[in-house]
Amino acid sequence: MRHSTFIKIGLAFTFIQGSLYSATSSAAPEWLPKSVQIHGFASQGLITTTDNNFFGKTDDSVSFDFREIGLNGSWNALTDLQLAMQIVWRDAGKTDDGGVRIDYGLASYNLYSSESSVLTVRGGRVPTPLGFYNDTRDVATTRPSILLPQSIYFDVNRNLALSADGGYLYGEHQTDYGDISAHFGLIVPRMDDPDFKNVIVGSSPGEMEGDVSWVSRLGYEWQGGRVRLAATYADFNGDYKPDAGAFLEPGAWRFNPLILSAQYNGENWSLTAEYALRRAKLKNFGFPMIEFTGQSFYFQGTYELTESIEGIVRYDELVWDLDDKKGDDFADLTGKPGHSRFAQDWTVGLRYKILPSLMLSGEYHYINGTGWLSELENKDGTTQHWNMMLFMLSYSF
Amino acid sequence: MKPTVLPSNILKNRAVVLFIVCGFLLENGTEQEAFASEQLIYPVVNQNSPQKTISRNGISAIFKMRLRHWQDGSAITVFVLQDDDFLHKLFCKQVLNVFPHQMRRGWNKLVFSGTGQAPVLVKDKQEMIERLNSTPGGVGYLVEDDISDSISILEIQ
Repeated sequence: MRHSTFIKIGLAFTFIQGSLYSATSSAAPEWLPKSVQIHGFASQGLITTTDNNFFGKTDDSVSFDFREIGLNGSWNALTDLQLAMQIVWRDAGKTDDGGVRIDYGLASYNLYSSESSVLTVRGGRVPTPLGFYNDTRDVATTRPSILLPQSIYFDVNRNLALSADGGYLYGEHQTDYGDISAHFGLIVPRMDDPDFKNVIVGSSPGEMEGDVSWVSRLGYEWQGGRVRLAATYADFNGDYKPDAGAFLEPGAWRFNPLILSAQYNGENWSLTAEYALRRAKLKNFGFPMIEFTGQSFYFQGTYELTESIEGIVRYDELVWDLDDKKGDDFADLTGKPGHSRFAQDWTVGLRYKILPSLMLSGEYHYINGTGWLSELENKDGTTQHWNMMLFMLSYSF
Repeated sequence: MKPTVLPSNILKNRAVVLFIVCGFLLENGTEQEAFASEQLIYPVVNQNSPQKTISRNGISAIFKMRLRHWQDGSAITVFVLQDDDFLHKLFCKQVLNVFPHQMRRGWNKLVFSGTGQAPVLVKDKQEMIERLNSTPGGVGYLVEDDISDSISILEIQ
């Protein structure tokens, strides 16, 4: 069933793409208005690990259970009004159930725009501006590596982080000293990741529902992005609504990430670092309030060895609770392993642009800790020290 | 125990190999650069364009796909060549003062976050000229020798 859907979408993709390029180099069939653009992407991954499972059964085995296919359309209905929608079909082991979903569907209207400034209002399902990479995290070519640094861009909570229903105000101003931008949005987050509910309430029957939340990001770019700086702060809220027979009472989840991001881009190399302080709070549920602060950071360097080959090296570290860095207290309290409360990940990788639209990448992870692994995929326990190898073929237009 | 200090002749050989590899990597694109350094490239518009001058911020905002209309309110259509086309690289470097991959990252971000559109890709400078001729609000770039009477330079002030 899953594979037949995959093939159908693949065929549709090939057809659209074929018709695009045979007609003109502009990205939409000629019968559509000129201000319509169609773009898309498709990626297939291959993953193997020495221990633990990541996106499928990978422990001493090879999983093909990681693919992302998306198609988007945008239309400038008026000069300053744009409508856009992206539909994505994604499979990532047990962390994503392989359904088709609307990643975003939004209207953007420029309230004001001049040669140096713009003020835009956006509404609908809008990609959430978190750090450098979140807005386009599904598209392999926009990521520096096959997996984004998991300490900040958890793939187990992908839907929660990616986009949310609500409205944003966006402003940008260019000065002689660089460009300044600001996002502010009121949203209701999506809580449909299979792992998310499991992490918060375990197997207790009921639903997690998004509550009113807000997100803000300030950005600075110098010389068109040679230097990029950003600061993100958000207040995510969700509520647990138990069903009959639940062993937990109603409760509230609150999550406040602060993310600081910096990047330098040279002609053929770049350095990136992001740091996140994550405060989480669980209130009610029939227990005393649980509160902890976690920390994430990574350093990353990329270098273009040739025009078509790029290498990457990264160190990425996650701590769930700064008061219990090694997870010892957690282990005493829950009987679960302490190494599930942190992760240190060294990554090296290469990506090869076979064509401007086709990319093959491979990367190797040397990992201590299982802090960002899915519990659903690792029910039989985990190993603290493990290695992971991934390959991915990705296409975008 | 292995010796921890390498004999100097091995180090010398390694240095030579490294030097050759670096030289090979630097060789890429030097011919194009020689050509590029002799040519001036200009942002250009349709002869009947409502606007013939623009600020430096304005030209950057147009190619970043942030500014969608001319001063008179009419729509802007942006034409670009492939990322690896040397005219595109020249324009990014000479006029926009950015690397082509920075432009591409910006466009990808707009396209895949639903917050904007990519410029229209043309396959060569001939198509650039044809599309500019047939699109009233069109803007692109050409080197001086290719700018005909039907196309005007968009002067940066």
